[in-house]
Amino acid sequence: MKNAFWTNIFNRWNTTENETVLTLKQVPVFRGLTKREYREVEKLIHERTYKPEETVFKENAPGEGMYIILSGKVEICMNGSDPNKNILAELGNGEFFGELSLLDDDIRSATAVSVDHSRLLGFFRPDLFSLLERNPELGNKLLLNLARVIGKRLRKTNDLLTNLQKG
Amino acid sequence: MSTHANPLTILLRILFGLLILGFVYIIWPYISTVIVMLVFAFLFTTIMLKGTDFLERKIRNRGLSVFIISGTLITVIVVFFAGFASGFMEQVQDFSQRLNEENTVSTMNTTFHKFVASLPDFVKDSFPQNTNFADTLKSNIGQLLESVVAFAGAIGSFIFTSIMVFIFTIILLHEYYNFKRSFATLLPNRYFEIGLRLIYNIEKQVSNYLHGQLLAAGSVAVLSIIGLFILNLLGANITMVIFIGIIAGLANLIPLVGPFVGMIPAILIVFMNNLGSDVAVAHTLFGVIPSPFFIFDIIIMFIIVQQIDNNFITPILVGDSVGLHPMVVMIALLIGGTLLGPLGMLFAVPAAGILKVIIQEVRFVSKNAHLL
Repeated sequence: MKNAFWTNIFNRWNTTENETVLTLKQVPVFRGLTKREYREVEKLIHERTYKPEETVFKENAPGEGMYIILSGKVEICMNGSDPNKNILAELGNGEFFGELSLLDDDIRSATAVSVDHSRLLGFFRPDLFSLLERNPELGNKLLLNLARVIGKRLRKTNDLLTNLQKG
Repeated sequence: MSTHANPLTILLRILFGLLILGFVYIIWPYISTVIVMLVFAFLFTTIMLKGTDFLERKIRNRGLSVFIISGTLITVIVVFFAGFASGFMEQVQDFSQRLNEENTVSTMNTTFHKFVASLPDFVKDSFPQNTNFADTLKSNIGQLLESVVAFAGAIGSFIFTSIMVFIFTIILLHEYYNFKRSFATLLPNRYFEIGLRLIYNIEKQVSNYLHGQLLAAGSVAVLSIIGLFILNLLGANITMVIFIGIIAGLANLIPLVGPFVGMIPAILIVFMNNLGSDVAVAHTLFGVIPSPFFIFDIIIMFIIVQQIDNNFITPILVGDSVGLHPMVVMIALLIGGTLLGPLGMLFAVPAAGILKVIIQEVRFVSKNAHLL
């Protein structure tokens, strides 16, 4: 009886921790952190729930940070309010979007709309900056990961441009 | 999804708003003390947050960092107040002892009449003739001591409030980031990012203002101590110089009025120390202006400190931290002072700064409503 009580408590605690941490582990920006560092990042993450068709953010709105999909689906599109909107991508569990807003306060380049009932994790620029001040070691790890993600994209864009020029 | 609400919904929303306002109005007398405590705790948390974060980075333990920072602060406050209280009581005891000695009384009356005689005629006429200055002062001191005893009664509630503020501060410091995150969960999805922006901007505004003000207060304290030491070299005989300097620095936290409040302890102490001294009564500023008990020297010294602070130190340390027009600062101070007294004056400028951020964000939201 005593064991069941404690197991139940710790199971519940572990489940909530693991769900967020497991999702974060899939995201390249949060890869390679220690257990303690994941706990630290978890404290800065905002969990939000969205109904189907609910807008997460709109094109041209000022961006504050990135979102990671914990469950559900999110559509990234241009001209979101237009019936002939241009859908750029449909993202699912563990995928992320809006990460460029972690670096600058430029406007969003596309609209993000929740397709299903979605649970998203939000990580925002002021939290990253405050983390850089409080725990520079962890902040730098995240920045380096972010640079890797952007570098990979830049390389992909370069390849596409080269192929276009050749073709 | 339509964003236009029908008139019935709008009416219901207005009624609901009014209901909440009425409810707050009814319960305000019961919650106002707690709210003032929380506001103080928030301000102390904002001041100590950077230090706690810095220590946490070094020792990697939030709880221990909070303990060390708050422990250090409480020790400094207790040592300061205990030192000041014992020093001041000694000063008052010594003063009242001298006041009871007969020769001091006669000396005082003579020096007072000498002082009045040295004044120009139009000033002299405003003093009542044949006054026993010592007796008037004695009865006034008696009244002052009675007020001090009455004041001691209020100290009990002050200690309780301070302990509560201290407890709230420790909890807020330890759970600051969790509280902020919990607060953000209350924001609806549509206003989530803009709400976060607002929270961070307010936080930044308050933090910049408080840190700037504290640095400016520190510099005023140091400058005042230096100034008082210089006056002592000229023979002013001012004791408790460091305490007077710190009080002047703290009083400086209240804009416009504070600097004048900061002069009072120095004037009181120089008067107590030099009572019966002919040299102090006959002292002249620059050998021309009569400055009995070095009073005008002290006032001019504090004015110089204020000028150095206002023109050189504050612009560098505080800069345009709040970015309010001086006229707005003055109006805010008047409103704060009328509503809450000195406490209101202390909070008036940061409150006006917060209001400015909120207005800026609301204007931004109304301009970009189509983007939300």
